[in-house]
Amino acid sequence: MDKKTVTTISYLSRLKIDDEKEEKIINDLGNIIEFVDQLNDVDTSEIDPLANPLEKTAKTRKDIVTAKNLKKKLLEVAPSANEDYFLVPRVVE
Amino acid sequence: MTIKYKSIKEIKNMISHKEISNKEVIQEVFSLINQFQDLNAFITLNEENSIKKAEELDNNPSDLPLAGIPIAQKDLFCTEGLRTTCGSNILNNFIPPYSATVIENLENAGCISVGKTNMDEFAMGSSNETSFFGNVINPWGKDLVPGGSSGGAASAVAAGLVPAATGTDTGGSIRQPASLCGITGIKPTYGRVSRWGMIAFASSLDQAGPMARTAEDCAFMLNEMCSHDEKDTTSLDNDIPDFEENLNSSLKGKKIGIVSDLDLSSLNNDVVEIYQNSLKEFESMGAELVDISLPHLSLSVPTYYVVAPAECSSNLSRFDGVKFGMRSEDVKDLEELYIKTRSEGFGNEVKRRILIGSYVLSAGYYDAYYKKAQQVRRLIKNDFDNAFKKIDVIMTPTTRGPAFKIGSKGDDPIQMYLEDLFTISANLAGLPAMSLPNGNIENKPIGLQIIGNFLDESTILNFAHMFQNETNWHMYTPEGIKQ
Amino acid sequence: MSWETVIGLEIHVQLSTKSKLFSGGSTEFGAKSNTHVDLIDMGLPGVLPVANREAFYKAIRFGLATGANINQTSSFDRKNYFYPDLPKGYQITQMTQPIVEKGSIKITVDDYEKEINITRAHLEEDAGKSIHDMFEGETGVDLNRAGTPLLEIVSEPEISSAKEAVAYFKAIRQLVTFLDICDGNMAQGSMRCDVNVSIKKSGDKELGTRAELKNINSFKFIEKAINFEIDRQIRLIENGECVVQETRLYDSEKNETRSMRSKEEANDYRYFPCPDLLPVIISDKELKEIKENLPELPEEKEIKYINEIGLDESEAKIISSSKTMANMFEAASSKTNDAKLVAKWLVGDISALLNKDNIDIDESNLSAENFGILIERISDGTISGKIAKSVLEEVWETASNVDEIIQSKGLVQIQDESILKDIAKKVVESNPDQVSAYKAGKDKLFGFFVGQIMKETQGKANPKAVNEILKDLLK
Repeated sequence: MDKKTVTTISYLSRLKIDDEKEEKIINDLGNIIEFVDQLNDVDTSEIDPLANPLEKTAKTRKDIVTAKNLKKKLLEVAPSANEDYFLVPRVVE
Repeated sequence: MTIKYKSIKEIKNMISHKEISNKEVIQEVFSLINQFQDLNAFITLNEENSIKKAEELDNNPSDLPLAGIPIAQKDLFCTEGLRTTCGSNILNNFIPPYSATVIENLENAGCISVGKTNMDEFAMGSSNETSFFGNVINPWGKDLVPGGSSGGAASAVAAGLVPAATGTDTGGSIRQPASLCGITGIKPTYGRVSRWGMIAFASSLDQAGPMARTAEDCAFMLNEMCSHDEKDTTSLDNDIPDFEENLNSSLKGKKIGIVSDLDLSSLNNDVVEIYQNSLKEFESMGAELVDISLPHLSLSVPTYYVVAPAECSSNLSRFDGVKFGMRSEDVKDLEELYIKTRSEGFGNEVKRRILIGSYVLSAGYYDAYYKKAQQVRRLIKNDFDNAFKKIDVIMTPTTRGPAFKIGSKGDDPIQMYLEDLFTISANLAGLPAMSLPNGNIENKPIGLQIIGNFLDESTILNFAHMFQNETNWHMYTPEGIKQ
Repeated sequence: MSWETVIGLEIHVQLSTKSKLFSGGSTEFGAKSNTHVDLIDMGLPGVLPVANREAFYKAIRFGLATGANINQTSSFDRKNYFYPDLPKGYQITQMTQPIVEKGSIKITVDDYEKEINITRAHLEEDAGKSIHDMFEGETGVDLNRAGTPLLEIVSEPEISSAKEAVAYFKAIRQLVTFLDICDGNMAQGSMRCDVNVSIKKSGDKELGTRAELKNINSFKFIEKAINFEIDRQIRLIENGECVVQETRLYDSEKNETRSMRSKEEANDYRYFPCPDLLPVIISDKELKEIKENLPELPEEKEIKYINEIGLDESEAKIISSSKTMANMFEAASSKTNDAKLVAKWLVGDISALLNKDNIDIDESNLSAENFGILIERISDGTISGKIAKSVLEEVWETASNVDEIIQSKGLVQIQDESILKDIAKKVVESNPDQVSAYKAGKDKLFGFFVGQIMKETQGKANPKAVNEILKDLLK
């Protein structure tokens, strides 16, 4: 874990790390990674990963429209919106 | 008449015998909350609506199972029209347009949601010190943490403000605070309780459950919380039993698994002694102790600290200041909007876990960490599957010791993560597990953990209830809180 | 130096389900902004996705029609990135276990046919729409489209020219519309494509560095964008520069591609299995049912039209190449006994009208029912072919019923010989000069007499009967 890695993952996570905290964070993350590194002592070559404790098939839905028009309710929750759209600072493509 | 420290059933009886009105019950709850506001157990109160609902019940008495029962809801469940923060600045002003299935189930059963309890931010913490709304105090000592993440819930129940509360448990967030606050709480089998409307921390581990003073009340609550929910595809289809039915079954001949791989020497001596006394108590009720091996148990904490951060790093991406929640002021462009909002909106522990999650999922590290952890997760689950072939339940201490002092774990994440040593494996394997008070150390409560087989909440509730029939640890109340 | 072009296409096909891939939100196009947004589409805290089984069925139809492997167990992964119209901060897609793998499709280019292999086709959710030019200094986000099911069809890099790329896209479009899994509407964005283009020296084994052209949604632009990009890459290399692996945006106004590097900056999508969704398993029974109910494909239709109905090869090809045309043909044919006449009109007058208006037949005013009546009235002699044309034009404009037009305008053909004879006699008597000229050997004047009769009858005279009567009178 080094400064460059932390810069990359913090950008991917859209988080800013303050300069004065950077050293501690690099250190903490390094310790955590070192701690979880003990997993590598186990031989798992024959083991299938387990993503969810329920080893079942997903239930699915029928193709039916059930949603109501929630426009007003949803736009009300937004930090910035006009009558029709959620708004963000202009994105330049 | 007071409802303080009364069970759900007792309050129901008092109401139906007109010893107390619904309104009086609710008024007392709010006066208690007010009296003990230093505990900081609640983030948002629902007083006006609660009183209104109580008045309605007084006018039209109901025979619903939880009619008029005041319940504190963890602030991680969305409640339509009532602020839901998840303990975070980023949701400081979020008023959900819908309610979680758990909330609907409980309210349909007649309960009154009196408020939203404080918690570690996004349920990431074991001491309730990561809440944006300040730490919660353990009623057993004003300098003690209540545990976490369901610390507000545990504190509120332990202080007798409400008879029961909802919690959620991703790595021990119901059981650890239950242990540290001297109450009873159960994390059901993964999939028993719908996750719809529960703000996700780690989707494959999160499970909601009740926290109350007794196993009986937990069973009562669980009956109403569980449902088959089409909105959650990981909600189980299996029959939901009446969890009260087996509470009094005899323990004769039932087998308790004792984990031989567990190194108890690192624990506080008193914890070990209390644990062993409890095992003797169960033996005296006719249960047998059987040694079992869970060889990969020691890897559950590192496994968890790969799986949970990975899932949370993705689950928390939706908090970006665009569609809901907080947005930072004065941003010049979209990138800054994202970065500033998320940096100001999330606290340190949440950020730390998001970063770890991004790291273990990033190109080049996925196999070494994420895939590896998923493989070890299977090994841990296999261990449990094997063990449960010959036993009914597994018992361990819930925590390594009683409640610790606020700030005492410093800022060392790993020390804090190890708090969940005994509890995490049940989440990884999806098994039901509970904690109940089984002793005191220097006037601080401590809990016993009972882990059950897949879908077998009834048996662990049975063990817990029988224990509470024979002992009175669950009746202890903190000093200074007594009337 | 001669160069070879290597092209691979990723086509995003919007599946024509009624509801979204993971919610009960409507997929209807063109609704007012943010009115088809469910709690799930908005990615609110605490919501959970539930997969729409019909989307799997539609994807499987595509797989079966391209001879692909169907993964009866398929799962979903998350692709993590931030964008305002991506509500959850991740897209749910199928990375490790796509529903369809290893198919192929035949394309026809000018004078040759070629088989293009399809690497995979997987289900994923569409994003919403960002509107950049409507508000001062701000971008508006409309989430109506968020969560609409997409089938992303990924080809092998086996396409060698812009023309082949267009032919491949057209073949996919024809197939998905016949399979009734997508409406194929390019203008509404029902099909969009990303194109990977690279060049290499002829004969080289190793592929060159590729550029990805994003989001192109018309046949014309695919061809132009690829040709521009090929030229650009050749120029770069011949000038001793390098092609950079990057995403480029095609600007149709300037006819150029330009780098979108800003968007790509250090992106790492951190795919991992979606913990909210367990694997979906399609049973043998379901698969069998889908197979049995697979709609007839163009090639099968073409053969049937030739062998069973007796159409010309060229007619059969034209009619079977478009889903709407084939539907019209089959529906109208079922209403008359003269399928060949139906085909003749479809390929002839109707195609001409469609070309003129630049529309699809299902967008026209002509219904199969009405078309069937028109053909019936021609074959039973009620109206002549010439009158039929004018009736068709009227229907084209007004969508009125064919019989009503014939009735109200009195267009019924005059078949009665005594009436026709009277008219013919009048014409012959009032044109003595022409009669003598005809009789003196000016055969061409026969047409003049026919024309005069048609004029008298406003074109309603049965031409066959007129011919015979005239021949008799002018003997």
